[in-house]
Amino acid sequence: MKKRIRFVLNGEKRAIDVAPQETLLEALRDGLGVKSPKCGCDRGDCGTCTVMIDGRTVRSCLVLGVEVDGAVVTTLEGVMENGELSPLQQAFLDRNAFQCGFCAPGMIMSATELLARNEQPTREEVQEGLAGNLCRCTGYSPIIDAVLETAGVVPKGGRDERP
Amino acid sequence: MPITHSFDYQKPGSLREALALLARKSAVALAGGTDLIGHLKEGLVSPELLVDLKGLKELKKIEHRGGALHIGALVTFAEVIDSKVIGKKLPVLAEIARKVASVGIRNRATLVGNLCSAVPCLDTGPILVAMDALVLVKGKRGSRKIPAEKWFIAPRKTARKPGELVTGISIPLPRGKAAACYLKLGRYRGEDLAQASVFVSIEQSSRGAKARNFRVAFGSVGPVPCRARKIEKALAAGGALIDMVALKKLVPAEISPITDIRASKEYRLHMCQVMLERALAAADGRLNGTGPAYGASLL
Amino acid sequence: MSGHKFIGKSVVRVDGKAKLTGAAAFVDDLEFGPGLLHAVIIESPHAYAKIRKIDFAKALDVEGVVKVVTGKEFPYRFGLYMHDRYVFAQDHVRFVGEQVAAVIARTPAVAKKAAGLVKVEYEVLKPVLDVETALKEDARLIHPELGNYHHVPWFFPKKDTNIAHFRKVRKGDAEQGFREADHVFEDTYTVPRYAHCSIETHGAIGLFDHSRRLTVWAASQSPHTQRHLFAEALAPLGLKHKDIRVIAPSVGGGFGGKAGVSMEILAAALATTVQGSPVKVHWTREQEFYNTYQRQGVVAKMRVGVKNDGTITALEQKLYWDAGAYVEYGANVVNAAGLSASGPYRIPNVHIDSVCVYTNLPPGGPYRGFGYSEFLFGLESHFNEVAKKLGIDPVEFRRKNAICTGDVLNYGGKMNPSGLLECIDKVAREIDWGKKRVSADPRKAIGKGFALFWKAPAMPPNASSTAFLKFNEDGSLNILVSAMEIGQGFLTVMAQIAAEVLSVPPEKIRVETPDTDRNPYEWQTVASHITWGTGNAVKKAAIDAREQILDIVSSALGQPRESLYLDDEQVRSRSDAGFALPLRDFVINGIMMKDGTFRGGPIIGRGMFMPEFASALSDPETSQGGKPNVHYTVGASAIEIEVDRETGKITIPKVVLGVDCGKVLNPDLLKGQVTGGMVQGLATVLYEDMRFDEKGRLLNPNFTDYKIPTALDTPEEIVSIFVEHEQPDGPFGARGVGEHTMIPAAPIIANAIEDALGIRIRSMPITAEKIALAIKDS
Repeated sequence: MKKRIRFVLNGEKRAIDVAPQETLLEALRDGLGVKSPKCGCDRGDCGTCTVMIDGRTVRSCLVLGVEVDGAVVTTLEGVMENGELSPLQQAFLDRNAFQCGFCAPGMIMSATELLARNEQPTREEVQEGLAGNLCRCTGYSPIIDAVLETAGVVPKGGRDERP
Repeated sequence: MPITHSFDYQKPGSLREALALLARKSAVALAGGTDLIGHLKEGLVSPELLVDLKGLKELKKIEHRGGALHIGALVTFAEVIDSKVIGKKLPVLAEIARKVASVGIRNRATLVGNLCSAVPCLDTGPILVAMDALVLVKGKRGSRKIPAEKWFIAPRKTARKPGELVTGISIPLPRGKAAACYLKLGRYRGEDLAQASVFVSIEQSSRGAKARNFRVAFGSVGPVPCRARKIEKALAAGGALIDMVALKKLVPAEISPITDIRASKEYRLHMCQVMLERALAAADGRLNGTGPAYGASLL
Repeated sequence: MSGHKFIGKSVVRVDGKAKLTGAAAFVDDLEFGPGLLHAVIIESPHAYAKIRKIDFAKALDVEGVVKVVTGKEFPYRFGLYMHDRYVFAQDHVRFVGEQVAAVIARTPAVAKKAAGLVKVEYEVLKPVLDVETALKEDARLIHPELGNYHHVPWFFPKKDTNIAHFRKVRKGDAEQGFREADHVFEDTYTVPRYAHCSIETHGAIGLFDHSRRLTVWAASQSPHTQRHLFAEALAPLGLKHKDIRVIAPSVGGGFGGKAGVSMEILAAALATTVQGSPVKVHWTREQEFYNTYQRQGVVAKMRVGVKNDGTITALEQKLYWDAGAYVEYGANVVNAAGLSASGPYRIPNVHIDSVCVYTNLPPGGPYRGFGYSEFLFGLESHFNEVAKKLGIDPVEFRRKNAICTGDVLNYGGKMNPSGLLECIDKVAREIDWGKKRVSADPRKAIGKGFALFWKAPAMPPNASSTAFLKFNEDGSLNILVSAMEIGQGFLTVMAQIAAEVLSVPPEKIRVETPDTDRNPYEWQTVASHITWGTGNAVKKAAIDAREQILDIVSSALGQPRESLYLDDEQVRSRSDAGFALPLRDFVINGIMMKDGTFRGGPIIGRGMFMPEFASALSDPETSQGGKPNVHYTVGASAIEIEVDRETGKITIPKVVLGVDCGKVLNPDLLKGQVTGGMVQGLATVLYEDMRFDEKGRLLNPNFTDYKIPTALDTPEEIVSIFVEHEQPDGPFGARGVGEHTMIPAAPIIANAIEDALGIRIRSMPITAEKIALAIKDS
């Protein structure tokens, strides 16, 4: 039996019907066409499905859609600022902090929460904050640097221009 | 992987209502859901009703009262880490919480949910048995306080009876000056389930400046978290001097590690000895104000 | 070569904005409307069994179930290099997880539920789970019909055995070489299986429409090869290549795992059973572990003959590969490794047996490094031991024996330009080789490790690449290629190559992932060959367009042809400084003549690259005679580790990798390959591995127990050093480099552990547990 839920998704009030067994990830992707959260492991290990509920990141594969009734949900689609890349996204671009791009939406959500809660993180705090988001391509260092750069902890990364 | 089993969902506004719903056959309580939803996907549970507890404000509290720390069933690991009261009264609990999974899980998963899972590798087990914590349980027929050591019965099996709800835990706080340490062995620095874990707490005793009480427990090296009473006794008898060689010899008698995919029996035993030494040193240092900060990486 | 405007620059990735905003669509993101069907696969619970009966009546009864499909519908054998596998198991299942049947339903939940109602009766057989058992005289044959299987001419299966391919290399006279040696050292090393762990699992959607056209959308490294194999495998249905179309959207990581054809065949085949409806097959993380290709395990037995001065006189390598139940792709890993298992050394007498062995474990296949990571673990560990026993510094030993430009390769050809010595020296300097550090923590020991590496693309001699290049009205352009962007930055580099030739900035060039209907042929995105091969094709296409542009400007406007050149999006003339014709003025609409007629028109460039010098024909007994490898990319790597003697835990203050990539096309992207590849490689030696039980079941098909690195598990510093000895046949001198960055990771760690603790560990992974227990025992 489907239930009617009301919540705010990326700044917009939404009312949808979900079956209790539908996960938030399924509700977002299949029900609402919000595709940035991805399914990578379906058991909370990989972090590609990361979205925010009331400003805190969660694994949307381990949350039921019905649980977000009355909540504020943010996905990567809601992180852009007036259609422009956020400073964090820009730093990811400048530092090649992605390769295949599959982990990027979840990674950016986790990094966004991290910076919201800790404006001047240390390298280790960034590593710890992102440790639940798996990336198989980059080896993480450009991601860590991009987050630290956004926080102003490391200088803006000049691109590698060898002679 | 979709959940194929269908069920009803209710979010009660009061504990009474919640208990009434949970008394129904095949009703299951939902808090953080990070375990439960995985189990639903795998078909390990097939409830007819999920009772979402998140509407019960009274279960969200962290309180220091009557010499004990009370933590409600809805308190997440992230809240444990952020809690000022815990940071002041029992900072090792935050140290433990920081070792649990990753941020996105800790924002959702609850401490009480962890102890209800009762898996042998659970991070909250050793501290609860070592500190003589009480598990607070409510049913339609009243309340029970279950000592942590009696709570854990077997892997994934607890003393909770059908229809009962764990409303929180209560951890008696040391009366004197105290410090503690939790060490968790994982296969790498990233998120991992414990291969083995050690909890140590040292408390200045009222019996004199040199007298100290020790609490020691191990996790992931037996079906349930185990309190190491022989080691505690030897430590208390030893006074200020700790004979590590003799102490390490007591470890095999306290734990019953097995070989599984995460570690061999030999490595678990070896590392429990190593970690016991390091945890004691860290807790001792913390007691003297010279130890590593809570949360520092000691392995 | 200086004076490049776009080549050698860290151009911003052309796919960046799409990937960082969620705009990039991966296969699971594509919408197919309410008609989409979902398939769930019924898998074998046994490693080896005979299928007695499949009863799916109950599944068919479930509301929402459309069809149940079994092996009966597709009784054909197919494969990439050897036709030894099936769409669905026929009479036997050969590994745990093998596809036996499929339930197609309206929703994933119904499909999953109904799949649980399909009952399969098996007669369980004793599985063959390791190479030793498989090679026994009386071993049970996993493929009794091996002798009849169709395969490429460079494979040598042994019928009535479990040996699917036997690559022999005989160079010089090994026995003579051992006689000349002052010492002969032998040892055995073992490497387990590994999983790629792309964060995106495999997925494919097939649609066989009512006009009998088959379209497959797939997470793919190999769109054209998949089209070809679909056509071959489904030929009995009367499909022509022209009727089959593969569309490859963004791919969430490849590492070899999405090359060839694995589960995609299911989407193609199942689609033909539900004509008119798209059907989706999407692997769970578990299936991703046990039913795609796995990196094969190997047992390597080696003997090395050396003179007292460290000169290597002979090498014998016997590599026994656990290739799994089907080897249609994996046998080529065995082949490639066999040809190169001497490592980048000048060894006059070489004897290599590389043996591809069937077992009842999941199919082996391509994984970044393609066999080289596996044999280099043993070889580079062993050479370290040899140097130590001779009392020679391990770096000096390597420098002395390192292969140089023009040296004779194992199969008789000549080594391409090689900056290996330069790599050795630069890497040794960067790691401060020879200087011992002592840890501030008395419980810890510090050690350094060094290793060389090489790798050649493993590809058929006629693996070709093509490119189309189309100008637009505003002078921007679209490039059509079919090699895949799998994270490495391929699209960006192709834009840079065309930009350099045509003087159009990369941001005005769009390159996207392919559709085989629209984009021209590409063999596959594997083997670290596409920057080189597809890059050559794109360069040729750009030159083709440039020549058309200069021709038309010359003929229409009377400018001397040889004076014309492109600069800053304009045609300029060396003989007429005032002449500047913007490309946008004519690349679509042509040039207007005085009488109002037009010359020229839309500029479309075409480029094709075929390595015409390559050949796989050689003597099967010696491998002498052909030129199977187009080039080797070489390098050196070193590491410093700090290891805790009590816990066995390792931290890595610094790791260095120096590689001769011929020419750096984009330094930031190349650095990305070094960082990512090294971290991936380090994980294989420090904690990853696939564990199977005594029944052949994979025990860790998840990230809970198959640990891949997190942000907390990176070395403190990764230094990349690029050496440039140009590859004459590469675009701007470039050669392949994508896989090479993970290959030396295992031996540098093993050698550093030996340096720190004096303990040699001969099996991977070298976990903290293994180290701690080894210290305890020593």
